[in-house]
Amino acid sequence: MKPVSVSNGNLLGHWRRWAPVVVLLALCILISLFNGNFLTFGNFIRLLNSAAIPIVLCMGATFIILMGSIDLSIEGVVALTAVIVSLLVLNDISPYALSLWAVPIAVAVGGMMGLLNGVLHIKLKTPSFMTTLGVGFAGVGVATTILGGTTVRISDPTFRFLSLGRVLEIPMAVWIAAVAVAVAYVIQERTRLGRWLYAIGTDEMTARHAGIPIERTRILIFGIAGLFYGLGGVLAAAQFGQGHALISQGRLFTTITAVVVGGTALSGGVGSVINSVIGVFIVVVLANGLVLMGVEPYVQQGVQGLLIIAAVALALDRSRLDVVK
Amino acid sequence: MTQEQRTRLQTWLPLIVLAVLILIVGIYDPRFFSARNFLSVTADTMTLFLMASGVTLVIMMGGIDLSVQAVASMASCILAAYLQQLGFLAIPLAVLGGALAGFIGGLASTKFRIPSFIATLAVSGVVISAGNWFSQTRSVNIPGDLSATYLDWAIGEALGVPNEIWVGAAFLVIMSAVLGLTPFGRLVRGIGAQERAVIASGINVDRTKIAAFTLSGTMAGVAGVVMAARLGSGSPTLANEFLLPAIACIVVGGTAITGGVGSIWRTFVGALIVQVVRIGMTFMGVSVFAQQIVFGFILVAAVAVTMDRAKVLVIK
Repeated sequence: MKPVSVSNGNLLGHWRRWAPVVVLLALCILISLFNGNFLTFGNFIRLLNSAAIPIVLCMGATFIILMGSIDLSIEGVVALTAVIVSLLVLNDISPYALSLWAVPIAVAVGGMMGLLNGVLHIKLKTPSFMTTLGVGFAGVGVATTILGGTTVRISDPTFRFLSLGRVLEIPMAVWIAAVAVAVAYVIQERTRLGRWLYAIGTDEMTARHAGIPIERTRILIFGIAGLFYGLGGVLAAAQFGQGHALISQGRLFTTITAVVVGGTALSGGVGSVINSVIGVFIVVVLANGLVLMGVEPYVQQGVQGLLIIAAVALALDRSRLDVVK
Repeated sequence: MTQEQRTRLQTWLPLIVLAVLILIVGIYDPRFFSARNFLSVTADTMTLFLMASGVTLVIMMGGIDLSVQAVASMASCILAAYLQQLGFLAIPLAVLGGALAGFIGGLASTKFRIPSFIATLAVSGVVISAGNWFSQTRSVNIPGDLSATYLDWAIGEALGVPNEIWVGAAFLVIMSAVLGLTPFGRLVRGIGAQERAVIASGINVDRTKIAAFTLSGTMAGVAGVVMAARLGSGSPTLANEFLLPAIACIVVGGTAITGGVGSIWRTFVGALIVQVVRIGMTFMGVSVFAQQIVFGFILVAAVAVTMDRAKVLVIK
């Protein structure tokens, strides 16, 4: 947990910092009481596996939310990169068979989409939620147009290994997610970019007066976030073995829920990528628990919606209250 | 550019753009210029306008409602699921469902002090689940005889004009009156122009905001009912792909997302612009999916042009 809370020191601030962990533990205990299948090795692996892609996406989204902005283009970027990567590996539509070389290309496309977000947002001076809403829809549009509504089937075993292969009994996707977390953590803790991120999110005017290159940092962070979404798209394509724009459905929702539930404040400046990992596990464990209890899958999105409201309401830092639009 | 010139430009530009677009499409295909065709184009625009008219109020306060497409879908599900049992009563029930969703969004946004885009995004998750529950995750057909009995007011014809246009015109008048003639409308403008000043003058801002969100949900519900009537079915994904055009037509009409400036007729003009652009693209053979790309960039461009940057110090 990252001690960058403004209201640090008092009891409430302390509770807020550890609340996500407490919630996660309580959930695990509660569900295992109701269902014996929860605490099995098989289910544990299943949990890790379903957390992998959301974690990768959250790494990007956390950075953006730490700046006090928001990225609604996640689904668009994931859809586009998933479709591109599945057209570049061995498949039933296009003649390319680049195998693993397709991965950096798709991730780079994600980065370009992120940069596009950042450049439009900064240069046109439009709020990030509007800019990313537009770019995100455009991304889904491009992805659907490329395929004309059909689905690509991937027949490249090396590529599918990225998600399905197992090393030390743990799926490859989980290892990749772990590396993504490590990279994100290093960016957050050990680079100037990471420090500037917090400065911008806490007080952009002061950060500007302190000489931080706000515009460049913002554009770069949107680009980096795009890289993570690109990787998420690649993993999604590898997991399902096909490329389709619908592969990204519901991802935006899960990602924002996880970031917010993990304790990263939407107002910016407070939180950490580690918080978001905890957040993803809260969302995934809850979903897993609901499935084990036999709740209809379509209820999940409703539960996540309520979680967002509850988490944002509880994480509210009242010292920063002003007009809320 | 002075403030006055700016306002004048924002008032007339959308109309000029619409006229130019109609001319372009008309030159491309002369059949476009017929009374019959104009009527059908306007009728096709009405569901979009109905949905956007409510959101206009929220945007004029400087907020946003991202839940309208989910709300419209849910309303279509309620209508289709209960029309057989309840008859006419299913219509107010569906609209009421929309109003309730809007109310919850407004309540969450004001009482918990959550930014409106995230509050309404969260509510849309709940609403999607509800839509799936009402329709049992399927698309529910509305039988032709039921539609003829109960939904003719929305899809029939009167005096040679499609009823969609009458419905749209009625709500254009009602919503314009609400915004232009009532204290509520003045407060909506005031909150958008300078919320702190409105708070300082002792007005219950939260109540006005919740009312605006409720109206937005209500209009999304009405749009969902008309949509279901037109398509002859209700489904939890019926209004998907409608959110972006809805916001686009508000902004293209000249309502600034920073709040304060705007009106319902602007949204009406904006909706017609969006529709004519869509028709133009279809003439040129641009696929429905590719049109989303164009709308995405139109949205960003229109926001960039209409935004009042004097009002926001830091753009997040």
